Amino acid sequence: MKRFGNRFGMGAIGLALIAAPVAAGNRLIAAGQPVAVAKSVLTVTPSVEWNKLGARPGRNSETWTFDGDALNDLTFYGGIEPEQTLFREVSKRNKPLPRVKVTMLVTDIPTLVENSYRIALDTPLFTVEGMEPMAFAGKPGIRFTYNFTRPDEDLPRKGEGRGAIIGGKLYLITFEAPRLHYFDAGVTAFRQVADSAKL
Amino acid sequence: MRRGWNALALAAALTMAAAPLAAQEKTGNRPGFTLAPGTATIVLMRPEIQVGAQSTGGAYEPNADWTDQARENLGKALAEAQGRLGNRVVNFVEPVGQGAATAHEYRALFTTLADSVITYQFFPGNRLPTKKREDSFLWSIGPEVASLPGVQGADYALFVTTEDHYGSTGRKLLQVFAAAAVGVGVTSGMHKGYAGLIDLKTGDLVWLNADQAMGGDVRTPEGAAKRVAQLLEGFPGKPVEAAAPAPSAPAKTASR
Repeated sequence: MKRFGNRFGMGAIGLALIAAPVAAGNRLIAAGQPVAVAKSVLTVTPSVEWNKLGARPGRNSETWTFDGDALNDLTFYGGIEPEQTLFREVSKRNKPLPRVKVTMLVTDIPTLVENSYRIALDTPLFTVEGMEPMAFAGKPGIRFTYNFTRPDEDLPRKGEGRGAIIGGKLYLITFEAPRLHYFDAGVTAFRQVADSAKL
Repeated sequence: MRRGWNALALAAALTMAAAPLAAQEKTGNRPGFTLAPGTATIVLMRPEIQVGAQSTGGAYEPNADWTDQARENLGKALAEAQGRLGNRVVNFVEPVGQGAATAHEYRALFTTLADSVITYQFFPGNRLPTKKREDSFLWSIGPEVASLPGVQGADYALFVTTEDHYGSTGRKLLQVFAAAAVGVGVTSGMHKGYAGLIDLKTGDLVWLNADQAMGGDVRTPEGAAKRVAQLLEGFPGKPVEAAAPAPSAPAKTASR
């Protein structure tokens, strides 16, 4: 879901489209091997194969998928530092993205995700469904569920996130997919990846 | 003036982005899938049709009149074509209430699926590693589609999506100006057409014809007929096609 560039920002449009195929290098993530993700110390061990997309939604993130990011999108945010955003800015002057704060609690993570998506996707249709405490990489963390629809298509999507604030940085893994078939088909594989997270 | 440069920069970017699309495949077949004429019932889903204008800067502006014209013209052309597909093609009877909403959501899912096939399969340089094996063509909308009201008793569902952005006068002028003065190509208009056959037992996509540069002006009856012919080109089990030597491997249609 993170191809914001092709909808927002004049310069970004061309860059995103060009960057996707050229810099692509979509890579295979093998099953059963620990792998460091999102240019960080966060490590996961998937039990099934995934594809890692060449295009990143932001500097400290990376996206895995089975069938393309519009159908199943697992995104890692590896240690987003205070005053940084989840994604690349869409329109810094007119619609700045919310930033990670030093004072953030784990219960603030769903709100950060919601506000970032509302701006980046330009959609009013985003709802956090629920949240509960759940350990992340052995530290106190949060699990939350949400749903959203992009403004240019009538395809409701469901999402689930697991994250924590560790050493003052935000670590987060999200999974999202159309609620028809794809979410249920992929969420078990996502939960396995999130359960395997280590720092 | 700044705005003008922005538009030019955008145009240049768009052109560069459009270049690799030329080498793209436009048709996919699930390996081993064949459909003999006269053996199956295919339900034709209500087509998703959108028509609008493309402004000078490239933004899309929907046009309700054009969309209505296209609906009527494409509807007639499809009705005429469906008798010649070699198998029994019935129209999807739109359910009421929740069923209608679910049907609409499935059509949106098909469009997103086709977009993904184009991005991650038809464009070889961007193909997902797990989709590269043995010419595989493994795409699905899920087996749950079998419970959609209105598809019971059918073997396959045919989904059709078209989206047309006609270049405004300003856009066309920009195209000419950019080519002549700056030497960059600007695309004017967007004409995307997807037709896909879903196996209703598994939800698997067994055949897809998807192109983002289709011909035929859908606002006219003749254009719509041309568009439908292009959408259904290579349709499995179609008598004319069946007479020709049928390719067993996934068809790789050259760019037209």
